[in-house]
Amino acid sequence: MRFLEDIYFVFRREFYLVFRDHGVLTFFVLLTLVYPLLYAYIYSNEIAEEVPVAVVDESHSALGREFVRNWDATASVRVVARCGEMEEAKELMRKKEVYGVLWIPGEFSRQVARGEQAHVSLYCDMGALLNYKALLAAATDVSLQMGKEIQAEGLEYATDITEAIATQPVKVRDVKMFNPQGGYTSFLIPAVLILVIQQSLLLGVGMVAGTERDRRRNGRSSPAGGHFAFPLRVVLGKACAYLPVYFVMGYWVFFIVPRIFNMTQVGGRAELMLFLFPFLLASVFLAIAVSFLSREREVPFLIFVFTSVPLMFISGISWPKSAIPGYLLWLGKLFPSTFGIDGFVKINNAGATLSEVLPEYAGLWILAAVYLCLACFLYYREMRMTKIEKKRVK
Amino acid sequence: MDWRADIRAIGSLMKREMGILAGDRMYWFMMLVAPVFCFLFFMDLLDEGLPSRLPVAVVDRDNTTTSRSLVRSLNSFAQVEVAMRTADFREAREALQKGEVYGIFYIPPHFRRDASTGEEPTLSFYTNDTYFLAASLLYKDMRLLGSLASGSVRQTLLLAKGEGGPTLTAKLMPIALDTHPLGNPWLSYSIYLANFLLPAFLCMFVMLTTAYSFIQELKRRTAGGWLSEGNGSVIVALTGKYLAQGLVFVVMGTLCLSLLYGYGRFPMNSGFFPMFLAMVLMVAASQGFALFVSGLVSRGRIVLSACALWCVLSFSICGFTYPVRSMPWLAEWASNLFLMRHYFLIYIDQALNGIGMAYSWQNYAALLVFALLPLMVLRRLRKNLEGNRYLP
Repeated sequence: MRFLEDIYFVFRREFYLVFRDHGVLTFFVLLTLVYPLLYAYIYSNEIAEEVPVAVVDESHSALGREFVRNWDATASVRVVARCGEMEEAKELMRKKEVYGVLWIPGEFSRQVARGEQAHVSLYCDMGALLNYKALLAAATDVSLQMGKEIQAEGLEYATDITEAIATQPVKVRDVKMFNPQGGYTSFLIPAVLILVIQQSLLLGVGMVAGTERDRRRNGRSSPAGGHFAFPLRVVLGKACAYLPVYFVMGYWVFFIVPRIFNMTQVGGRAELMLFLFPFLLASVFLAIAVSFLSREREVPFLIFVFTSVPLMFISGISWPKSAIPGYLLWLGKLFPSTFGIDGFVKINNAGATLSEVLPEYAGLWILAAVYLCLACFLYYREMRMTKIEKKRVK
Repeated sequence: MDWRADIRAIGSLMKREMGILAGDRMYWFMMLVAPVFCFLFFMDLLDEGLPSRLPVAVVDRDNTTTSRSLVRSLNSFAQVEVAMRTADFREAREALQKGEVYGIFYIPPHFRRDASTGEEPTLSFYTNDTYFLAASLLYKDMRLLGSLASGSVRQTLLLAKGEGGPTLTAKLMPIALDTHPLGNPWLSYSIYLANFLLPAFLCMFVMLTTAYSFIQELKRRTAGGWLSEGNGSVIVALTGKYLAQGLVFVVMGTLCLSLLYGYGRFPMNSGFFPMFLAMVLMVAASQGFALFVSGLVSRGRIVLSACALWCVLSFSICGFTYPVRSMPWLAEWASNLFLMRHYFLIYIDQALNGIGMAYSWQNYAALLVFALLPLMVLRRLRKNLEGNRYLP
């Protein structure tokens, strides 16, 4: 009975601390509320469209014009300038008015007419890889399509079927799974969502602990004795205060935000919740454990903010796992976000079931247990240190 | 006003600042440990350029010499590794969902027979586009393989009809597209990531250190002494303190540049000076921005929150992976308020494309404006320092 009483007391006090401190509330509520919206807004167009380009057509032929027309007609390209010579187009590129130049050489249509291979050249500004990809894909499509027409014209007395066989004996079909438009939002945002939850917890809990240490002379993060005599009860009590806040914010972040922005959501809701529960637990215990690093109210900013980006990279979302050095993968396994992102993406975007993400699921539970023990140990150590100090003072 | 006394004051303030920096663990962490960790972390992660050997699954329902040679050529692409061969699509799909492979290459039954009799078999490839980079790399390779397959069948047909010779390539591919990715012919992805990420981390640490050290003066009640040591002039006091910090950060910035262009051998077509100038201005601009915010708001945590938000957002809004032009208009406009955006544009013009510095004068000027922002809030800064007001 005494056990639950202590937990309840710690919980009440912590709850009060959280809701009275606007700084902490900023992290727990405002950050988790606004940040996902901000990110989703930035990437809401998903793909590069209507990239401005210049054309240098030295062939002055019907065929060259047809190529440009077809290219311009694709969704990714907008021809904004037609230049007489290459230097003019390059100058436009330096001024950032166009991001690519298509050069059709003078002998283009002559070569086609002679039955030789004709060349067109695409020059791309590499300031953004996505622009290059869009321009290249569009130009490849056009050149293949026009090539096919030229081949078909060359076959006299051919029926439709022989034409088809001669121009394309094998069909190719590509399927983009789990992110049909190949967009940026559906790929990046799930990882951001998980990270927002973990990082806001680190910052908020760190701030609570730092403020407490600022207030007390002895630099302790909780009162000594009384209801705070047992480490496990303190940790559980604190966790009970943070968890309800994060159940609410988690629902917003993981279920409502993806809906607002029409992101892929194919996973079962119950399954997702079951998976996210240990993630929240592990994050909360991690936050309590590392809050011992924050000796002052301002410190969490300095030590936690920058970790988001490396964590994003070692989660295997923005950089393929097979290209990450092994020791970094192991480092990543120390953080709930790595398992969290992996599992969340698999369930939410790829429709995996809980049994298919078993390694991640187990990993989260193990992390939760490890960090619970670590947090308890750190409280125990802190309590013992103060006791020793007290004795020395006496 | 005696300018000699001011210079002497700046000198003694710089000495004072070095003492403060050396005596506090937090500054060692912010100015040395954390930046070096981030630099080394990303240099090691990105040193391959493009990720290679991405695992894919092959579902070969045909299992003839033709299909097997297709699989062999797929495996020979540098970026592909056939990690799984199976005749059961379901098994491959499950591996895809588990994230064990990034793509599936499907060869239908009777592929060879259909291709040679004109039945037009369909090769399918599936990519898991929740892993954007891996999927787009695989897409490229698998698409190339598809057209190679088509081409090799056609080549056999044409040769059988006796149509060899110099026009064969033209028959196979009447229009060839030559691409010239200017400045990055290797299409290396790490060029984008490393050249933005390393300086962006430095920018973040400069901003946070600047704001933190300002708050610390108030919190430790040393602001009065600081101001009086600066002959009572805010400008002198700020210059002395932040010149010392700036020097340390410029050293870190030089380390960053030498890691990128010396050790990492990323392209630097402009020579050293334009990038060094950009780096110095970037450090000054970060300090300026942080001091500007410190003057606008007096609550320490709001200043730090604003700086942290600005830095973290600049990782996405500066457009180093997703072009700014493709963002909604409000974000496109707002990107100019992030100083890393200007640094990034200078980098593209100078180090990557190597065009004249005149083309990026606007961005250099923008960084300078950021550095001079605190001049607008001098009075507020003085009031905060004189009142020694620490608000948590």
